[in-house]
Amino acid sequence: MRDIGVSGGAKRRRGSLKQVWTVAVYNFRGWHRNPRIIITFALAFILCFLLSDKAVKFAEEYKTTMQAVEAFVWTFGDSNSILLASLLLVLLFADMPFLGAGVPYYLSRMRRSTWLWGQIVYICAATFIYIVFILVSTSVICMRQSFIGNMWSETAAILGYSGAGKAIALPAVVKTLEMSTPYECMGTIFLLMLLYTLLLVSMMLAVNIRRGQFWGVASVFIFSLYGFLINPKTFNAFMHLTDEQMYIANLWAAWVSPLQHATYSMHNFGYDLLPRLWMTYVIFAALICVCYVSALRAMRRYNFNFTGTD
Amino acid sequence: METAISVQHVYKDFKGEQVLKDVTHDFEAGKIHGLVGNNGSGKTVLLKCICGFLLPSSGKIFVNCKQVGKDCDFPDNLGLIIETPGFLPQYSGMKNLEILASLKNKISSETIRNTIRRVGLDPDTKKPVGKYSLGMRQRLGIAQAIMEDPSLLILDEPLNGLDKTGVREMRALIKSLKCDGKTIILASHNQVDIDELCDTVCEIDAGVMTVIR
Repeated sequence: MRDIGVSGGAKRRRGSLKQVWTVAVYNFRGWHRNPRIIITFALAFILCFLLSDKAVKFAEEYKTTMQAVEAFVWTFGDSNSILLASLLLVLLFADMPFLGAGVPYYLSRMRRSTWLWGQIVYICAATFIYIVFILVSTSVICMRQSFIGNMWSETAAILGYSGAGKAIALPAVVKTLEMSTPYECMGTIFLLMLLYTLLLVSMMLAVNIRRGQFWGVASVFIFSLYGFLINPKTFNAFMHLTDEQMYIANLWAAWVSPLQHATYSMHNFGYDLLPRLWMTYVIFAALICVCYVSALRAMRRYNFNFTGTD
Repeated sequence: METAISVQHVYKDFKGEQVLKDVTHDFEAGKIHGLVGNNGSGKTVLLKCICGFLLPSSGKIFVNCKQVGKDCDFPDNLGLIIETPGFLPQYSGMKNLEILASLKNKISSETIRNTIRRVGLDPDTKKPVGKYSLGMRQRLGIAQAIMEDPSLLILDEPLNGLDKTGVREMRALIKSLKCDGKTIILASHNQVDIDELCDTVCEIDAGVMTVIR
């Protein structure tokens, strides 16, 4: 009897997992010839082109080569670039909570929580694809003068050690060069950016389900504005801080701003009081989980209002 | 008399606007129940409440003795057409129904093919749904509602967009479903459909439900 119960439970779980997967895939099927999706990725490519332009031009000017992922590292090691790329993602999820005319048909064949898990899987997968697209785009943009070996280029050395990076506002700091290899650094920045954007869209989903579509989008802008304002450079611009005050502002911003958490150089690599990378990963993961738990709880009383047609 | 759906003192409001007001009614099993009313009277909201998509502000709805929103999220054994049928436009009708059927994994491809034939469509056509006429989509919507042989059908304007022949065929189909023992709730603006098909008729006006027949 017990064996039958266990196998029945396992079968139900497998069935639910399959339903979750089907919901996620169903959303991806909606990408087919979808102008909104095409525009999002086209704009993302243009954004990468504009943001990585400084690094590419610098290499061209000095006639030096670049490592294939360096354009990504220098561009998205900066909080403002992360902010712009993450805001563009809102366009990808503008139809959140994904209640098209086909939804009643598959919704009626599952449970509310299964449907929401499907949306969560979709959001995570789509965000991952988007960040991979950004990584590939920046690599493609600088491919004419790049190499794939896992070592920093001459361009990186000039940017980092000569202070030229600071002069042209590229975050090529010495600690980046000395603490890791290009691919390792790329992996870390990719993960930070992925977690930050995931937090952003997870929050959008939770607020969307709790408070409606308007507040879902508004929450993204409020969250981004908060991240943008809690920035040591902003503090300095308004309050003209001394070096010591600037140090404290830097520390404070690094801990309380999610955008600074997503910035590679705002972490402790062994010689200051900034958050360590693993701490940021844990904080982001915890906040993302809070968003999903909040969404799942709200889903129990959620009213589905289907919109649009196919 | 066996009750398939019991609606008990249901109120529903959206941001202070009351859309359903103390709706109470028992829908008998094995019959076709008509629901009439003007646009915005609350018909679709009531149907969505029965389906579990909307939860009543107060009151209870029981479907096959299970309270919707408490004992189950959405009623088991329910087929539905609500609003405009929405399908993935790049796939054929058959592929769309196969995707939906895979969620419950209860029926075979052969059953889906037979259902598509039953509503007057060709299961072997490669034509994508995006190129279907409204009438063909409506037929496909009916096919997805009945393919898993549910005991309860919620049909909101199922004959919309169908030509004369289509309407005749679908009326015959709905009658045959009743003969199979299904309980059907049919919302329609068309008085002829209601008169010809329905055993009982209720009218909703400004959220208040009245039994007409």
